[in-house]
Amino acid sequence: MQNPSPIATTVPTSTLPQPPRPALSAASATSLGPRHYVAVNWIGLWTLYAKEVRRFLTVGTQTVLAPMVTTLLFLAIFVLALGHRVDQVGGQSYMQFLVPGLIMMAMTQNAFANTSSSLLIAKVQGNIVDLLMPPLSPVEQTIGVAGGGLTRGLVVGVATALGMWAFAPLQIAHPLLAVFFAVMACLLLSLVGMLAGIWAVKFDHMAAVTNFIITPLSFLSGTFYSTERLAPIWKTVAHLNPFFYMIDGFRYAFIDHADGSVVTGAILLGTCNLCLLLLVHRCFASGYKLKA
Amino acid sequence: MSGQPTRSVAGQPPAIRDRKAIGQRLRPRQFGAVNWIGVSSLTRRQLRNGLADYHYQVLGPVVSSLLYLAVFHLALSTMQSGGSGDMLHFIAPGLIIYAACEKAYESSAATLILDKHERVIVDMLMAPLTALERTVAYAVGASGSGLSVGLAVALATLLFAPLHPTNIAALVYFAAAGTIMHGLIGALVGIWAQKWDQYAVIHTFLLLPLSFLSGVFYRVDSLPPIAQQLIGFNPIFYVIDGFRWGVSGVSIGRPLTAGGIVLMVDLFLFLSVYLCFRRGYRLKP
Repeated sequence: MQNPSPIATTVPTSTLPQPPRPALSAASATSLGPRHYVAVNWIGLWTLYAKEVRRFLTVGTQTVLAPMVTTLLFLAIFVLALGHRVDQVGGQSYMQFLVPGLIMMAMTQNAFANTSSSLLIAKVQGNIVDLLMPPLSPVEQTIGVAGGGLTRGLVVGVATALGMWAFAPLQIAHPLLAVFFAVMACLLLSLVGMLAGIWAVKFDHMAAVTNFIITPLSFLSGTFYSTERLAPIWKTVAHLNPFFYMIDGFRYAFIDHADGSVVTGAILLGTCNLCLLLLVHRCFASGYKLKA
Repeated sequence: MSGQPTRSVAGQPPAIRDRKAIGQRLRPRQFGAVNWIGVSSLTRRQLRNGLADYHYQVLGPVVSSLLYLAVFHLALSTMQSGGSGDMLHFIAPGLIIYAACEKAYESSAATLILDKHERVIVDMLMAPLTALERTVAYAVGASGSGLSVGLAVALATLLFAPLHPTNIAALVYFAAAGTIMHGLIGALVGIWAQKWDQYAVIHTFLLLPLSFLSGVFYRVDSLPPIAQQLIGFNPIFYVIDGFRWGVSGVSIGRPLTAGGIVLMVDLFLFLSVYLCFRRGYRLKP
């Protein structure tokens, strides 16, 4: 292949840095060939996950600091408004009762916000193809995006817990159980957020889901009050809410007191997560509302 | 004929032959000291922007206010021996004025930022409106959106916490002054902000704490004295306190003082927004 550089004829070669000549060796041939991977595209999966995490970390004021401040405000309000009027709950002060629920609320809302906004913004801006085109299987897409939401939830949870530690003494009775319920809850809301993001077409749809489904369910889940003393019918209704089991289980891990059954909660959350994983995978595999 | 923009009605085309009539019709519109049509157009545009998608722009605040009410009611009725009646009467007015003010802030700030992003802010700047007229239109438009939301929240809370307004004049005054205050703060933020982040930062780190910590949900006089003194510097406290006095007759400070302070803050903010519009700060190149 004779291919003389046109620059060489006009400019003295001595003044230019010599570009490395492409050597026709075996090494360069392999580096230019398609990448081979076995069962899992680890680089692709990691890239998607890192992109999801960086997406919220670059606006950390909004995604981590803001929920932390809002949650601390809730703590201040409820303790100031009700603290002196409320009796002991399960041998704990009202503040100690409140703290785990508030942390869980912040984690779940942010896990939901991360995945739902990621998918919806990508769809609205048209860069969802960047998620659909790369050689990622539906499993890898599901795990990558859900992992981002899970990470945001846990980061917000740790930040909120640290913030609360300054005001309320935190004692964790069962640390491993706390981690288990935190991961389960964040994963569940990440997956719900993905379903919402896949389903929604406009930001209004997402606002409706957040305002009319997610916020009511998380507010009425027993974060601020004990379901034990509700009227029997409302108690049954409250125990049908998956948020109740997240908060109750998480609270049990902190203060060693639960309103419902922790084992039931763990099994329920596990089952929900499994079903949701399959459902989201199904959406990515079929391209429901994602591919034309 | 003068003053009204001409519009050709189907079946009745403008008489082209009558040259004099055309000359009159195409003449620039004349107005006196105040461009009333312009002011009302901008005001109505602000109102419409704020309330167009009512099912989440109005229903959203209604649902979240009811949630707060429900949570407080449940917390009080399940965790203590006494009832929750008097507490709900205390919280409900706070929730109403909070929802109204939040909407007013959002209304003016969001439209300004959106207009700047979409480069349609020139439509507002090019129109024959003086800075004063713009300021009035933004303040009134934001206040109108806020009051509509406040009314919706009030109607919804009435179902659960019957309220018997003791002083309608004070109620209306503090509702109007509070929403105008937040509308003007929103206008300042909208003029200053380049990104949505800045809008959200002011809301999350300034307005939300200032309102929540100054008596939407609890009696300020149960706080330690130093905190009470600090809250005295917060104008939003006077809005909430005055409004609650109008609704339930209960107040912590003196309502007259609150009214005066709110009025002064409103005037100061009005002047600031007016000067920004006149100078074109961050609006004109």
